[in-house]
Amino acid sequence: MRRLFMEPIGIFILAMLCQVYSCASNVSDSVERIQYASVAGEEYLQGDKLDTNLDDKVYFDFDKSTLDAEDKNLLEQYLPAIKKAKIVRLEGHCDERGTREYNLALGERRALEVRDFLVVKGVSGKKIRVVSFGEEKPLKSASNEKAWAENRRVEISLY
Amino acid sequence: MIRFFLLSIMLVSNSIFSILEIEILKGSDNLSKIAFVPFGIEDGVEEDYGEQISQNIEKNMLLFGEFENLDKNEMLSYPSSEDDFFYRDWKVLGVDYSVIGRVNSVNALGNLNISYSLFNINRRIKILEGEIVGGEDNIEDISKIISNRIYEQITGLRGIFDTKLAYVINSDVDTYQICISDIDGKNEQILFTSKSPIMSPDWSPDRKKIAYVSFENGLAEIFIQDLKSGDRDSIQALGMTNSAPVWSPDGKSLALVVSFSGNPDIFLYSISNKRLIRLTNHYGIDTEPSWSPDSKKIIFTSDRSGSPQLYEINTKSKRKKRLTRDGNYNARGRYFPDGKSIFFVHGNDGNFQIAIKKLSSRYIETLTSTSLDESPTISPNGNIIIYATKDGSNGYLGGITLDGKARFSLPVKNGSVREPAWSPLIN
Repeated sequence: MRRLFMEPIGIFILAMLCQVYSCASNVSDSVERIQYASVAGEEYLQGDKLDTNLDDKVYFDFDKSTLDAEDKNLLEQYLPAIKKAKIVRLEGHCDERGTREYNLALGERRALEVRDFLVVKGVSGKKIRVVSFGEEKPLKSASNEKAWAENRRVEISLY
Repeated sequence: MIRFFLLSIMLVSNSIFSILEIEILKGSDNLSKIAFVPFGIEDGVEEDYGEQISQNIEKNMLLFGEFENLDKNEMLSYPSSEDDFFYRDWKVLGVDYSVIGRVNSVNALGNLNISYSLFNINRRIKILEGEIVGGEDNIEDISKIISNRIYEQITGLRGIFDTKLAYVINSDVDTYQICISDIDGKNEQILFTSKSPIMSPDWSPDRKKIAYVSFENGLAEIFIQDLKSGDRDSIQALGMTNSAPVWSPDGKSLALVVSFSGNPDIFLYSISNKRLIRLTNHYGIDTEPSWSPDSKKIIFTSDRSGSPQLYEINTKSKRKKRLTRDGNYNARGRYFPDGKSIFFVHGNDGNFQIAIKKLSSRYIETLTSTSLDESPTISPNGNIIIYATKDGSNGYLGGITLDGKARFSLPVKNGSVREPAWSPLIN
């Protein structure tokens, strides 16, 4: 029987990803105050959400997590802002079709695909936070191709 | 004769009305007709009890569309003992079974002695009789026990009227609640309310705890909540995503999914020593584990072949076997209580439906006809599947009986209901 012990990479990424997010009550139109807290509750830091004039979403095909040329193009435009940001938050989502837990994993895949692209382009992996909400937070609640296409997304936010 | 003393273990309910209510859409293919005769009462017993008990039993037995009843007004007689019971009175009305009974007072403390009999009209024999002693406050529970006995006698399957359902309610954009209720939707309790999504409820085998996934801290985290105290514990697996908890049949561990660095795999988590043991190790997505009834195997979803398919792994030898090959989406498998078949979500031409498959055969049988069906859960007697589906933007629960193909739905009065989880039997 192999016992799990956290591989070094696991510990490294864990430390990064222990940061969790919760909205503070103080929200204005352009600047959203957010609070980071570690899961263990040891560490708190605050940051302002940075505004860019770019679309903050990349979209995916059903049951796929690959980036197409259009997505990569958008991310390229984002790069200067991303490089300036302290924290890059990538939130993966799916449409409602298929099973919830599988979609949770698929949403994570999608966010990681964006992270990997950014890292290849020279963004430090240390400042990237990845979270998946699977199919739990759709943008559109309708059940049609258009709504599904909008819901299969990774949202990028910079802090 | 069966004698039964009921302890009064009533759960305190947080809400007074039930959110779910079962509506029969289509009865079984071969409905048996049952006459539920109002129970007789002894002098001194409150008059309503006789009728209340027979009505409760009737409601229970008709719950899933498996039987039809004889209208009380059509009955030719209202016998409450075997001496007054004449088979021809029921045969002429096309009745297959009759239930009669009597409520007697035991003492001034409100204890009742309820005797009941079940007759098979076609065979002209009494097939069941029993007696229960319990308090006036427990009429509903007593009725459930009698209903279970009658159901068992007629169908040969375990009665499930005292089982419960856990589910997630999403009442508006950012209100998520995990709830439990009796299987008929009554006595709903809200276990936890959050502004962030809640997923994947699963009952401990002793029905005392529920494990689920909550995003309240910003990432998918697994909690175990004690139903009596309400205490919640995060299991602190500390992956990037921690999800899909399912209790082992002995209640000592959970199978669950942890994605440490973006690669979800199946792990076993020991509840006593909080240790994780890795079960799968593949760069693809491995998720949605569930135990075989004998605890030897775990079924799971993996996209290692390029699309989500079901596999099973032996927890000791770690030997894996692919279970589904037809179609490009077969996910969230669960074993039947006999361990010989599985049920799961089957994608077919863009529709996602509930399907079953014998492990010994390749043939997949689709049970449902709506297009966004998911999260199937099976009754402990293996005869009824409840699943989540959607109508417009509202999620509701659907149900189907496997022997008679009766169909029913459990609409929610407010918001969307999803992820039903059927409790085990109490033993």
